[in-house]
Amino acid sequence: MKEYQLIKETDYEYNADLGLSYASPVRGVWNIVHIGTLVPESHEIFVCPTSCLRGVVLTTAEMEAMDRLSTITVGEDNILEGDMEEALYRGTVRIIRELPVKPRAMLIYTSCIHHFMAVNYKRIYRLLEKEYPEIDFIDCYMDPIMRRTAPAVPSLWRQIHRLLTPSEKNTRQVNLVGNCFPYGPYSDLNYLLEREGIRVMDLNTCRSYEEFLQMSRSVMNFVFHKTGIPAVKDMKVRLGQDWMLARPGYNYDEIDADLAQAASLLEIPPFTREEIEEERRRTDQSAAEALEVLRKTPVSLDYTAVDRPLELCLYLDKQGFRVESVFIDVFTESEEIFQELKKRLPDLKIYQSLGWNIRQMKRGHEGKVVSIGQKSAYFNDTDYFVNIVENDGMYGYRGIRRLMELLKEAALSRKPMKELVQIKGWGCSCG
Amino acid sequence: MKKDYQTHVFTSTYTADVSGVCSAMYELGGMSVLHDPSGCNSTYSTHDEPRWYDSDSLMFVSGLDEITAVMGDDSVLIRDVVKAVEDLHPRFITLCGASIPHIIAFDYRGVAYLIEKECHIPVLPVPTDGLKSYVSGVDLAFRAFVERFCDPLEYQEDFRDRINLLGVTPLDFSVNQNVAMMRKTFEDAGFIINCCMAMGDSFEQMTHAYRAGCNVVVSSAGRKTARFMNRTAGMPYVEGLPVGPQIASALISMIRETIRDRKVRRIEADAAMDSAELSRTGGILVIGEEIFAKSLTAAVNGLPPKQRDEAAAYAMWPDPEEGIAEEDLIPAVRKAKIVIADPLYKVVCREGAPERFIAFPHEAYSGRIFRKEIPVFAGTEFSAASMLNR
Repeated sequence: MKEYQLIKETDYEYNADLGLSYASPVRGVWNIVHIGTLVPESHEIFVCPTSCLRGVVLTTAEMEAMDRLSTITVGEDNILEGDMEEALYRGTVRIIRELPVKPRAMLIYTSCIHHFMAVNYKRIYRLLEKEYPEIDFIDCYMDPIMRRTAPAVPSLWRQIHRLLTPSEKNTRQVNLVGNCFPYGPYSDLNYLLEREGIRVMDLNTCRSYEEFLQMSRSVMNFVFHKTGIPAVKDMKVRLGQDWMLARPGYNYDEIDADLAQAASLLEIPPFTREEIEEERRRTDQSAAEALEVLRKTPVSLDYTAVDRPLELCLYLDKQGFRVESVFIDVFTESEEIFQELKKRLPDLKIYQSLGWNIRQMKRGHEGKVVSIGQKSAYFNDTDYFVNIVENDGMYGYRGIRRLMELLKEAALSRKPMKELVQIKGWGCSCG
Repeated sequence: MKKDYQTHVFTSTYTADVSGVCSAMYELGGMSVLHDPSGCNSTYSTHDEPRWYDSDSLMFVSGLDEITAVMGDDSVLIRDVVKAVEDLHPRFITLCGASIPHIIAFDYRGVAYLIEKECHIPVLPVPTDGLKSYVSGVDLAFRAFVERFCDPLEYQEDFRDRINLLGVTPLDFSVNQNVAMMRKTFEDAGFIINCCMAMGDSFEQMTHAYRAGCNVVVSSAGRKTARFMNRTAGMPYVEGLPVGPQIASALISMIRETIRDRKVRRIEADAAMDSAELSRTGGILVIGEEIFAKSLTAAVNGLPPKQRDEAAAYAMWPDPEEGIAEEDLIPAVRKAKIVIADPLYKVVCREGAPERFIAFPHEAYSGRIFRKEIPVFAGTEFSAASMLNR
């Protein structure tokens, strides 16, 4: 079996998360520990068996944030005696007692095994809330066994924002929800909002717990990543905040439509026709400049770098780039995009990054290749790569122009790929 | 009141049994399958396996999901393993797992049998549960290997110059020169290393593990395997790690005696020391894997009092099932004059308590974080005195 298949031979239902899975050494994508640590003045407690604790503890240690995490190990006794609730309660009380500074919030993560032990942890949180009213407790989950129905990352974004409580709304304030990176100069949405004087809040930029709590006053939530959708849906119900998905793609019409909708929802002036034309012209020019540098150098990309890898393939192809391969484990974009790409680029190679076959693939590439994303760089064994994860704060025309700049840079200068891709939680500023 | 081994307010955790299994089998040409939803495999490959990036040894996670676990549908795992074997052709398969297979009473032996029937290659069931430390996992894996592939009838009492090193993985010895220096120490003393279980030796060499006069258990992760070989063939063993020339010399003498009289021997930290008393009054506290900690403690105690600040050393090690309770650890660390331990233990130090902390990174505790600073401690070139003067 080959490590890849051509898109022309691939069905839209393709899914690599079946069968034995391989874990590459590429570790840039954030995990739940990185995300949880974004909550200022909080403390994380992981209640898991040793095998699950190891990863979260060392993630934290690598961030030099061990003062932000404690653990309660699940033991054989808990399974046999059914006293997990007591162990959770006693452990949490001890942690609160022994920490030098009382946290404002505690994120308590239970794991896969608790589903099977039928642990009534909500009872414990109620007791803790009564005993420590000055601390906000929130139930969080590290339960990959539920990944097909309730994956851990979307669930965590939702739970984190459950720390917010209903409050009076400020019509001049909005939130960006579900981002690992702050959005700013490379986001059209931020530009649109900020030029109208609207305050844009994001967990990423909150420096104190009080500031974070202010997010409940926002009138609207914007979400760029699908993983943030459960959070904003929940906030709509609990806090009465409307929400909108700003699609992180490369289709100019879609970008215009989303920005127009955002303006309409907030009752602010949208971008004018002239502004849009100018943005499009500048973006095309930026792509042409990148193409001038790359010329016929093949481009490979992966799903860890951008949310819409197929759409990016399509965009780059339309702009004249030689797109050769994409590393992707499941198609999350529309079938329309997939079919269009299949027509335009039938020989596009689709690699799964999780499959067992890729473990022994001969990494490398004949001749130079420029990668967008760490996984693509690793499997192509190239030092010419755009080192980003999860869109890195890029959205809209500004985002595309930024990406073209990064692509140019990547084509011109090498990076120490082996070293960079193994860093856990790329760009995490919590450490 | 019952001691609380479960809550770790400040400290890290030793790696788990599942990583131990994968680490033990890494160089033997097999395929390790970790029956687990997800996460254990990336933890192992990121933090516990320094050989991962530059080699293509096979280790995969089964990706157990909710419905498969609830239905107890083992056919999914069997089908997936068979498919992978068709493509990858491993020499054998090791099947281990974390807490979910444990709680749903997954039948390791039965599933291993069914896979073996379909694939026609050996499948070793290693029933880990994700609740214990790597010491347990490494040992279970080695024992399963020996039980399946090695022939106790190969053991003969006249293998006087041949020894095995048991318990050798990067989790205790990293990938610096430790294993090479340890081998050299024994070879310089006239021994032939029959097999080093399991770094640097081939599958074939490992299958002849009984062709030695004595097992040297250099990490507690090899203890149960040594006991098993002792039980099955009467092969004796010695526990100890040659940390520096004095301990190496003592260990080599013990091995010779043991080969002669077949009595089990071990390097003790210092039989005359009362650890409980020392933990109350201070001293030099060595924290680490049991055999390492005892051997290093013995090396320190073997120094003239002046070279060890007039203090006596004592060892503390994690229990493979319970770890180290912080209520034992914290007072011991703060009362000690000098602490020799992995840098992640520093988190429990307070100003001036202990007077000195000597960082001694241990891959099984801090993973890759301090890998470059792990010293070469095995062999005759290591000096406990220089370490104390660092």
